[in-house]
Amino acid sequence: MEEGTKLLVDEQAIIEGCLQGSSASNRAMVESYGNLVLSVALNVLGNRQDAEDICQETFLQVFRRLDRYDRERSFKTWLLTIAYRRSLDMLRKKRRFTEFSVKARFEPAVAGQGGNPHPADPEPLPSKLLEALTARERTALCLWAYEGYTAKDISDVLACSASTARVYLFNARRKIKALLENDHGLLQNG
Amino acid sequence: MDFCKTVELAYAVLPLRPFRDWLIRAHMERCPRCQARLLSREEAKSLLVGPDQVDGAEALWRRISGEAGRVAAVPEPAPGRGALVWRWAAAAAMAAVVAVTGFWLLREIGRPGFDPRAVAPAERFQIDYVNVGGAPAQTFVYQPQGTDTVFIWASRTPQKEG
Repeated sequence: MEEGTKLLVDEQAIIEGCLQGSSASNRAMVESYGNLVLSVALNVLGNRQDAEDICQETFLQVFRRLDRYDRERSFKTWLLTIAYRRSLDMLRKKRRFTEFSVKARFEPAVAGQGGNPHPADPEPLPSKLLEALTARERTALCLWAYEGYTAKDISDVLACSASTARVYLFNARRKIKALLENDHGLLQNG
Repeated sequence: MDFCKTVELAYAVLPLRPFRDWLIRAHMERCPRCQARLLSREEAKSLLVGPDQVDGAEALWRRISGEAGRVAAVPEPAPGRGALVWRWAAAAAMAAVVAVTGFWLLREIGRPGFDPRAVAPAERFQIDYVNVGGAPAQTFVYQPQGTDTVFIWASRTPQKEG
């Protein structure tokens, strides 16, 4: 049996098991996709703690709504769509909190400031690069680079047209390249 | 190169996003110079965190295993018969209110009193006396030309000093 087909069969078996309430299947799903969701959330949010929270919320939502998953669609894309939406929600909440903090003239005391609590893990995208891109552009870049997603696949996750997804990707690649060319010390400075 | 800069400038100033998107897409897909100025997949990989670089699945499972067992495979309860009856009843009540209101409006409009032609002409509009706060008020009546609308402005008469 080919590797891709085997993976697909495994995926269907895991989904079926999760729908039956099997703890082993739930665990298998988290082990199969946990790192993928964590890496995407980390690249979008730029903060390990937030990314872990998003990961947790994403899988709990997946377990809760698995009966609504359309088998005609890619499971990975469905999962990443949930993770992306959750990440956007968190970014919005943090933005509102920061705006409120500025208005109330006190410093935010939560996430976003802490360093990497897992020293063995790599640091996310350097902050200057992270700030240069919108959440949609970061997501598009991440899915394209690591998952080999096409504009159509990315558009499914971002809930936009394929041509719009292509523009997000163009912009992300253009901006980062320009930043790298203009500032060689960017990566070292983070 | 100048054309590329013009496109970038146009992209920055064009107000409508669909046009901007079309412009950048059409240009980027055809211009070899601009394509060379795009980040490669390998470069992107060296900047981003990949799934093979994080190790969080085990820890994640430890965090959610308890809750996962509780939430998994619990189908949302279908609305009961009682809820369904109430929904139909509310919809029927709403339809009845709309029908009665519509009927009443039609009837009122159909009455001669509601015929705009039957309304007294504005030149015959007359106010005998206007009081504001128990005292005679300054009153202005204004009718825009060519309309049957009459505006009445009444304000308290200023007290004379001394």
